[in-house]
Amino acid sequence: MIKPAYIVSFILFFPLLLIQTTIVPLIAIDNIIPDLIIIILVYYAITQGQIYGTVLGFIYGFLFDIITGSLLGSTMIAKTIAGFTAGYFSSENKRDQYLISYNFALIVLLASLIESTISAFFSSVSLNTNIFILFIQYALFPALYTSSIALLGMIFYPKRRLF
Amino acid sequence: MIRFISSTWEKFKEYIVLVVLIIISLALLSQNNSQGIQKVRAVAFGSFASVTSVFSDIFNISNLKKENEELRRTNAEIMLQLSRLRESAIVNDDLKGLLALKDSTKYPLIIASIISKSLSKSQGTVTLNVGSSSGVKPGMPVITDKGIAGIIFSVSANYSIARTLNNVDLNLTVKCERTRENAVMKWKGDRLVMINVPKTFGLKKGDRIVTSEISSIVPVPIPVGIVAEIGNVEMGIFNEVTIQPFVDFQKVENVFVLGLVKSKEIDDIEFNFLNKR
Repeated sequence: MIKPAYIVSFILFFPLLLIQTTIVPLIAIDNIIPDLIIIILVYYAITQGQIYGTVLGFIYGFLFDIITGSLLGSTMIAKTIAGFTAGYFSSENKRDQYLISYNFALIVLLASLIESTISAFFSSVSLNTNIFILFIQYALFPALYTSSIALLGMIFYPKRRLF
Repeated sequence: MIRFISSTWEKFKEYIVLVVLIIISLALLSQNNSQGIQKVRAVAFGSFASVTSVFSDIFNISNLKKENEELRRTNAEIMLQLSRLRESAIVNDDLKGLLALKDSTKYPLIIASIISKSLSKSQGTVTLNVGSSSGVKPGMPVITDKGIAGIIFSVSANYSIARTLNNVDLNLTVKCERTRENAVMKWKGDRLVMINVPKTFGLKKGDRIVTSEISSIVPVPIPVGIVAEIGNVEMGIFNEVTIQPFVDFQKVENVFVLGLVKSKEIDDIEFNFLNKR
């Protein structure tokens, strides 16, 4: 029997991608944009477990690559590993603690950092460029922006489960 | 044996799932340009874009007034330029006639709107509301009134995806309008650069850069940007020149697709020539 949460998490991807590609570019700061998809991925990885987070990351990555025209496989790997990492925080007895606003934002920051770093690796940027600066531009800034949005969202997170 | 497999699965199932999914992803990485993947991609983004187009129209309405004012100002500026260019065109036509050159200025323009953007630091793409039914083909340049914005990468019946200049996978041959020197331009993740520019080239800050006739992608001169900085590499014989593009990819909403792909006849003759060597 498929859990309703599984179906919801799949369907939720499409409105999120719609917002990600139409509204989110309007709040870009120097081409740095928050990744709403990673926030939902982290949420489901924590609430549904590590394997589910990993598989969901894979599916989200596949759909993202195929719809936006990115290099097929690059976002898949990045989001799969991000979902796997976020799944570490899915222990039964600590789950609710991890969903508290700042804890959740920190997990989003970690998952987003991993995702952006792997994506940057696949963008085949010239090695002449300073790796440290690239890490800050490609991974740290987008991850910080994403976790700030997650923090804002979790402030309004109701005590009961959303989905 | 079954017990061993079962206990291994129980102990390491998270890691096994991760490894299997990564292997599948890596396998797909190598299949990016296959026909099958291109077809699936066309269907997927075509279906999604039909929804996105409705959504983006709502947001575009609020920007129309501002855009209208900008267009009116641009129109006035163009009108002034046009009167100057008319004078030049008369002289130019006479000279062309003398040299018996073909008139190569008439390219079809397909009007398009951007319905979604995937703005990443390295792989910028935009989805346009025109596709193969409007005559759009992969490889066609996407331009604005300011200059080149990108190249069509994938096409469905009613929509298409274009790689913007902010995409590491897009390399273009460009030239300096003043000195006529050619070089390859690419996105380096944080800036647009002309790479491997010999130090002997006479480029200067502020020079206009346009696409080059020798480009296999855009064989007509379309404005790209201006030279913003000339690197001073101490070792070696090549420099790196930073370009400030004319098109602001964050703000651009309406574009034209230039109905032009490089002649197959030229491609074939060049290919045969190389094969014979």
